[in-house]
Amino acid sequence: MPARTSAGSIALWRSDSGRPAASADRCPHRGMRLSHGFVRGEALSCIYHGWSYAQAGNCLRIPAHPGLTPPETIRVATQQIEEADGVIWVAVGEPTDQPPRFDGFVPLRSLTAQAGIAAIEAAAGAKKNANGFLRQSLHSEEIGFLLVEQEPDQTLVHVFIGDNATPLNRILASRAAEALRRKAEGVQTNGISA
Amino acid sequence: MLNEWYPVGLFSQLSKSAYKTALMGEPIEVSIAADGNAKVTSHTGRELPVRVRYGHVWSSLGAPQKELFAIPEADQPGRRFVDVGVVRVRCSPLRAVENFLDIAHFPFVHTDILGAEPHTEVQNYKVEIRDVEDEVWATQVKFYQPQAAKSASGGITTEYMYRVPAPTCSVLYKTCPPRPSEWDVITLFVQPLAEDLCDVWPWMALFDDDTSMTDLIHFQQTIFLQDRSILENQIPRLLPLDPGMEIPTRADLTSVAYRRWLKRHNYTYGAQLVAQ
Amino acid sequence: MKLYDYILSPSCYKVRLMAALTGVKLDIRPVDFHPGGEHRGPELMALNPAGSIPILEDGNLLLTESSAMLVYLAAKSAPEWLGGATADEAARVQQWLSFSHRLTASLGGARLHEMLRRPGNIATLQAQGIAALRELEAGLVEQSLCGKRFLASDRPTVADIACFPYVALAPDGGVSLDPYPAIRLWSRAVRALDAFIEMPGIHRLHELKPEPQIAPGEE
Repeated sequence: MPARTSAGSIALWRSDSGRPAASADRCPHRGMRLSHGFVRGEALSCIYHGWSYAQAGNCLRIPAHPGLTPPETIRVATQQIEEADGVIWVAVGEPTDQPPRFDGFVPLRSLTAQAGIAAIEAAAGAKKNANGFLRQSLHSEEIGFLLVEQEPDQTLVHVFIGDNATPLNRILASRAAEALRRKAEGVQTNGISA
Repeated sequence: MLNEWYPVGLFSQLSKSAYKTALMGEPIEVSIAADGNAKVTSHTGRELPVRVRYGHVWSSLGAPQKELFAIPEADQPGRRFVDVGVVRVRCSPLRAVENFLDIAHFPFVHTDILGAEPHTEVQNYKVEIRDVEDEVWATQVKFYQPQAAKSASGGITTEYMYRVPAPTCSVLYKTCPPRPSEWDVITLFVQPLAEDLCDVWPWMALFDDDTSMTDLIHFQQTIFLQDRSILENQIPRLLPLDPGMEIPTRADLTSVAYRRWLKRHNYTYGAQLVAQ
Repeated sequence: MKLYDYILSPSCYKVRLMAALTGVKLDIRPVDFHPGGEHRGPELMALNPAGSIPILEDGNLLLTESSAMLVYLAAKSAPEWLGGATADEAARVQQWLSFSHRLTASLGGARLHEMLRRPGNIATLQAQGIAALRELEAGLVEQSLCGKRFLASDRPTVADIACFPYVALAPDGGVSLDPYPAIRLWSRAVRALDAFIEMPGIHRLHELKPEPQIAPGEE
C-alpha cells in the first residue's frame, strides 16, 4: 500500500512470511509506482514489467530476461521499519531510539483529514504531545489520535482506543473520529471560531 | 515540435459547430467548412494547416516541413478501418508512445490477452533509426500471446514491427491471423494538450471479415484502458531523455532508440532533460 | 439472458461480474457507446428511452437499472448473494444498493469527464466522490469492527458488487484511493473471490497465483 514519510513516498508491504518492509514508491525501470505492485514470497514486484525486489531493496528478477541475474545497481531505496502493538513505524534516517508506545491503547483505524494539525487541535480543544498523540474523552472512554503531518493542510490521523473498549464503544470512537475530522476541516476552511 | 502534424479529431464526428480542443497549450477549434473540408483555427482566428488521413483530422501550430507520414496499408482493399475513439490520459504524450512500443509488460498488464506468465521472456529483436525516412523501426519482434487479436482462435507466437514516424505517433504491424502474409496495422496517434496531458486516438487497418466493428473497437479500447492506469502513475511525469533516472534492459531497445531519436531532434515537449 | 454491454462501462461490468461470480452465462450484445454513441441511437432508445446501458433482456423481462439486474441474477441462481438472512442484513443491502447510485453519479461522472471528455463540473464531481468514499470507508470500518469483511455481512452480497466497480475505478476520474485503508482491504477481498473477472482499469491480482514455471518441453 502507498504511504508517505518526510523522506518521500513509499510502498509499504508485508512478505508472505509476515515481515513488513518499506520500499521507495518508484521502480527504477520506467518509474512506475511500486505501491501498485504485488507481493509473492519475500519479494515485491512491479505491476508494469514484473521486476521483483527483495526486502533489502535489490532487484531479484527481471521477467523479460529470466536467465539474467540483475546487477546490484538495480535496486530501490528502503527504510527501516518496526512493527509494535499493531502499529507500523518507518524511520527517516538512522533512528536513535525505539518508536514510542501507547500503553493501554490499541489501534482502531486510520483516516486522512484535509486539515492541518493546528486545526485538529483547535477542533479537539486539546494539544498533541511530543509524540504527536492527542487524547480525548468520549463517554468515559479514552480515545487517542496520533497525528502525522502529510502536507501543511493534510494530516494522517491514526485513531486509538482503550484496549478494554467494548465493540460498541469502538464503533462510537470511529464515529467520534469522523466528527472530529468534520469539525477540523471546518476550522481549516473557515478559520478558528470563537 | 511546433512544426509537426498532430491528430486533433475524428473526421466522421466533425460538424459545422466548432469542436474545441487544444494543441500544446493553445486552444484550437475544429469544424467542417461550407465546402465540406475540415477546418482548424487557433483561438486568435488564425487558420492552421489541415490534413484528413487515417480517419482523423491533423493539424499543426507551425509549418510542417514534411507531408504527414504514409501508411501504405491504409490504401489496401479488403482492409477494415477502425476509429477506436479518443481517450484522455493525464500523462506525457511521449510516455504514451513509449508504452505502446513496449512488449515486456504484456503478461502483467494485458494478462491472458497479449501475454501470460510464464511466457515473459523477450527475445532479441532488431532496432534501427532509418536515416532516409528519419524514423525509428523495430523488427523481428516476437511474443507468445494467448489472444493476439479478435481474429485469432487461440494462443500464437505473434510477430511485430514497430515504427515511430513522428514524435507522438506510432504504428505497429502485427501477425495477421486470417492472412499470414499480411500485417495487421494498429496505430496510436497522440495529441499533446499539455506536457502532462494528452488525447490518444488509436486507429487500425485490419484484415478481419468476421468480427463486428463494435467488437474490434472494444478489443482495442480494452488494451488501451489497461495501459492508462500505468501511464498515470509513472514518476516523473515527463519522459527523461537523459540516462540516470531510469534503467533500460535489452528488452527496451525500441524505447532507448525512441528516446535517443527524440533528443537528437530536440523533440522535448513532454520530456525532461537533466537527470534529477 | 441478453446483456447490452459496453466493455468500458463500470455499470455493465457490475452485471458481467455478478454473472461470472454466480456462474450465469450471458449473451453479450456489444454497444458502441464511444465513439459511436449507439446507446442514444434508435434501436437502443426503443428498448430504453433513458438512453443508458446496461440493458438486460430475459424473455419478457427487460431491466434498465443495474441494481435490479444484480438482484435478478442472484435471485435466479445464487440467492445467498441477496443477503436477506436477517432484517439487519436486508436493510444494509438496500442501503448500499441505493448508495451505489451516488458512486455512479460522482466517481462515474468524474471518470467520464477525465477519460472520455464528457461535460461536467469536475471539481464538484470529485468532491462528491470523496465524500462518498469516506462514507464507504466508515461503513467498512464498522463492519470490520463487527468481524464482517463485506458491506452487509461476512460474505459478499449484491451490495458489494454494486459499489465495487466505480470505487475501484475512482483513480480514472482523478480521485485517489490512497487515503482509504478499509476500502483497499475490501477491494482486495472482492478481487480475490472465486470466478472474479476484471475489467480494463482493474488489474489482475498477480499475487494470487504463485510465479508459474515454464513446464519442461514447453516453449
